[in-house]
Amino acid sequence: MSQKSLHLRLGIVASLFALFLVLYAIPTFVFAPSNVGNIILSPKFWPYVLAGLTAIIGVALLFNALTAASDVPFEDEETVHPEGSTPWMRLGALAVIMVLVMFGLPRLGMVWTAMLAFAACAFLFRTRHPIAALVCAVIVPLLLYAFFAHVAGVAIPQGNFVRLP
Amino acid sequence: MKLRTLGSVLALGVGLIAGTAMAEYPERPINMIIPYGAGGATDISARTIAEALGTAAGTPLIMANVTGAGGATGSVAVQNANPDGYTMLFARVGSHSVNPAMKATLPYTLDDFRFVTVYEINPVACAVNPNSGIESMDDLIAKVAEGGVTYSSSGVGSLLHLAGAMVLKEFGVENPLTEATHIPLQGGGAAATAVLNGTATFICTNTSALANFVANGQLKALMVTTAEPVVGFDAPTANDLGKPRLNALVGWTGIAGPAGLPDDVSAKWGAWITEAAQDAKFAETMASMGSVIDVMSPEEAIEFINNQYSVFRALVDELGMRIEG
Amino acid sequence: MSLMDSLAAGFSLVGNFEAFFMLFIGLVVGVVAGAIPGLSATMAVALTLPFTFSMTPINAILLLLGVYKGGIFGGSIPAILIKTPGTPASSATILDGHPMAERGEAGRALGMALYASCTADAVSNLALILFAGWLASFALNFGPPEFFALILFSLTIIAGVSGESLLRGALSALAGLLLATIGLDLVYGTNRFTFGDPNMMGGLNFIAVLIGLFAIPEIIAMAWNPVAHLGRTRALGKSRCSFADYAKSFKSIIRGSMIGVFLGSIPGIGAAPSAFLSYSEARRTSKNKANFGKGEIEGVAASEAGNNGVAGATLIPLLALGVPGDVITAIIIGAFMVHGLQPGPMMFVLNVDIIYGLFIGLIVSSVFLLVVGSVAIRGFKFVADGPKRILMPGVLVLCIYGVFAVNNNIFDVGVMFVMGWVGYIMMRNRIPAAPFLIAFILGPLLEDNFRQSMLMSGSDPSILFRGPITWFFWVLTAITVFAITRSTLRKRVPLS
Repeated sequence: MSQKSLHLRLGIVASLFALFLVLYAIPTFVFAPSNVGNIILSPKFWPYVLAGLTAIIGVALLFNALTAASDVPFEDEETVHPEGSTPWMRLGALAVIMVLVMFGLPRLGMVWTAMLAFAACAFLFRTRHPIAALVCAVIVPLLLYAFFAHVAGVAIPQGNFVRLP
Repeated sequence: MKLRTLGSVLALGVGLIAGTAMAEYPERPINMIIPYGAGGATDISARTIAEALGTAAGTPLIMANVTGAGGATGSVAVQNANPDGYTMLFARVGSHSVNPAMKATLPYTLDDFRFVTVYEINPVACAVNPNSGIESMDDLIAKVAEGGVTYSSSGVGSLLHLAGAMVLKEFGVENPLTEATHIPLQGGGAAATAVLNGTATFICTNTSALANFVANGQLKALMVTTAEPVVGFDAPTANDLGKPRLNALVGWTGIAGPAGLPDDVSAKWGAWITEAAQDAKFAETMASMGSVIDVMSPEEAIEFINNQYSVFRALVDELGMRIEG
Repeated sequence: MSLMDSLAAGFSLVGNFEAFFMLFIGLVVGVVAGAIPGLSATMAVALTLPFTFSMTPINAILLLLGVYKGGIFGGSIPAILIKTPGTPASSATILDGHPMAERGEAGRALGMALYASCTADAVSNLALILFAGWLASFALNFGPPEFFALILFSLTIIAGVSGESLLRGALSALAGLLLATIGLDLVYGTNRFTFGDPNMMGGLNFIAVLIGLFAIPEIIAMAWNPVAHLGRTRALGKSRCSFADYAKSFKSIIRGSMIGVFLGSIPGIGAAPSAFLSYSEARRTSKNKANFGKGEIEGVAASEAGNNGVAGATLIPLLALGVPGDVITAIIIGAFMVHGLQPGPMMFVLNVDIIYGLFIGLIVSSVFLLVVGSVAIRGFKFVADGPKRILMPGVLVLCIYGVFAVNNNIFDVGVMFVMGWVGYIMMRNRIPAAPFLIAFILGPLLEDNFRQSMLMSGSDPSILFRGPITWFFWVLTAITVFAITRSTLRKRVPLS
């Protein structure tokens, strides 16, 4: 990818996002009381200013992209990924792991969820030391639990099933 | 919701294996949520009583600060918790009488909680910068008439915010919202500093937050809202000035659980807190912070809070301070 | 009482094994806590507070100060080793510290971080001892208009950390500013982008955003290409910080310390902006400007000097005025009050022995920090040596625990994950993360102080130009913006 095409893309996204903010998000999700004395004190003032600035930067990016003469790709650009579409699947898998972590934290408890997440990630990254990874997956969350719960006095979520001392 | 069913079946199984699932409360450490930041007045008060309370309860209390939105984030965490007595809240005047009175958007009401006690009262004082030439409440009110008077607070819906308006109103200012300007700042420390450097004209807040400045002569106290004088504050009381209605304007810290808290748990907390309040170290720390220990039974606490709430709510409605949207 | 008498009184108070031992313990606790992401210096101080209730006042305060100072340095260890800032103040250290670690120079970066921290600490303590009264009365002149001007100027740092394109840096900063508007409105208390969720009403947790933005993208990048790191040296190795390195960066360290002292003595700014300002100044004046952000050791030195320079200076408003400069000093004020002491001008009269005892302890603390820090660097060495594909899941788990611990809220873990993906998308699109972070810190301060000024003046904008301090910062801002514009237009490289 070149700077020209990157800025073209970012410029479009920024401009559209600014429009979205001004036309929909700010009027809908920012509440201002009816008795605001002066417009510059309104809760909506600052978001509108930011939306305006975003639009300006978006236009500047577009302008920059359209006027740039050269179309030189970035030097350190990653060339085609050797594995084809597998990296995308791994990204998806990592996202699924994160969603499951959020789901598991209040139900399973932090320690058990963390163990599963650790193991899942280590295998997702195709570690060369599977045994070591499994051992770490068990020990690291336990050690962290011991530290946070008993030294730092943090109420680590315990979940509904097996409670640790 | 198959998973939840499965979960409860499993939980039941574990409970059965554990045997006496319905053993005597408390059988494990109790999570205590402090809805304000570490090092604040609520935090110090809570952590001071925690040790004595833990001894009385026979189980450790695990303190957890859950801050945000003027105490609302932590309060919601307890509101939604299982009412088994293992998640309790250190409630404060800001989160549980000013906020409910002022904010229509608050995700909870007083009915979502069951108070087991209120254990400390913090008198409120009003102070000004000694260089301002304001010597008494009368001077301050005269100044309000001239215009340009501001008061600082630690944010919208804080005790300081309401206190400034309430005091002015009691002293005969017709519409404190338009005749004086409220300047919200980031936290109680910043609010006091604002009076120190002239950003705001006056501040009404807990005496503990002002004691230091008053003792050093950096601020001048105009009045305290209690019926009795406060040590270290050479200022008339609200009753001296003929405004006994301001006695309702005090800070407090209490302990509450979710609304469904069982009676026996509530009764136990009542007994523990009475025992814990006898602790000499607790009494000493509280005194040094300028707080008055006043342990209320669950019934007294609920009445006290509801009473304060209705006073605040009436004022808020009269002045149109309620925040909608 | 003469200075000698005061010193003697102070020394009699701290001249025992116990006081120094407490200081030492405090530093150890602080460095370890700071090195754990999520356990910030603030939390470490708060957790230590209850233990100090039964101590003598001077021991209690020294312990807490030790934790504070240790925590600010400790944060740089994970920032350099695993790109996860241990405390917000060390986020600037990532910019050059982590690239150095990637190059196999973690030892050199950590060494420099330590020496810069200790130097800045010493400068800061000296400033406290010599100029406390003067700096405090100066700081008291800072009302909302002055803050507004100062913060507006600080936002120009963004140009210094934007990397290869100013436009993309500005875009990143705007995203940070927009994200910071989430929460309850300051003046009216109404909802802004909270979607009725009570967890959003307090705004997004700063540490969750910070860790999400820096640490999680690394983990996601590892999922994208698990073997990208192979063939690169990453070990701590033999690389050390030489005296030549230190001498070369000395100017930046001193400048960073001064910036830290200045910003630290003004209540309400904190260590993170100071670190970034110091970093951007070092970059601006450096000969190897292009190397900043790619592992320039002077960048590490400047950031660490900037954040440690704050540590001693935040005690200036605390001791001289009784005003807390940040959350940590607010906790320390609590400790003073629990012991029946009232910080403020009267303390220099009534408890002069404690004041001088503190001064002596502070001077010693810089030396202790050097010792504890050296040991800690060796102790954490193994982190850089571990196989990266096991290390990364460990970092993920550590971040989950740490971010939860900040506010005991599972929601924050979710914020961290989401910000992680945002950070990854930014990384892929060559949008720098540092401007985002600076804007996220400074944006709310800018808006709040603007609106407070307007409240003070009844919406009269001329208040923003009151007094010499505001003018000073306005002129400074104008000069900086002019310089940035000129260099951008002249080179046409960063922009186009």
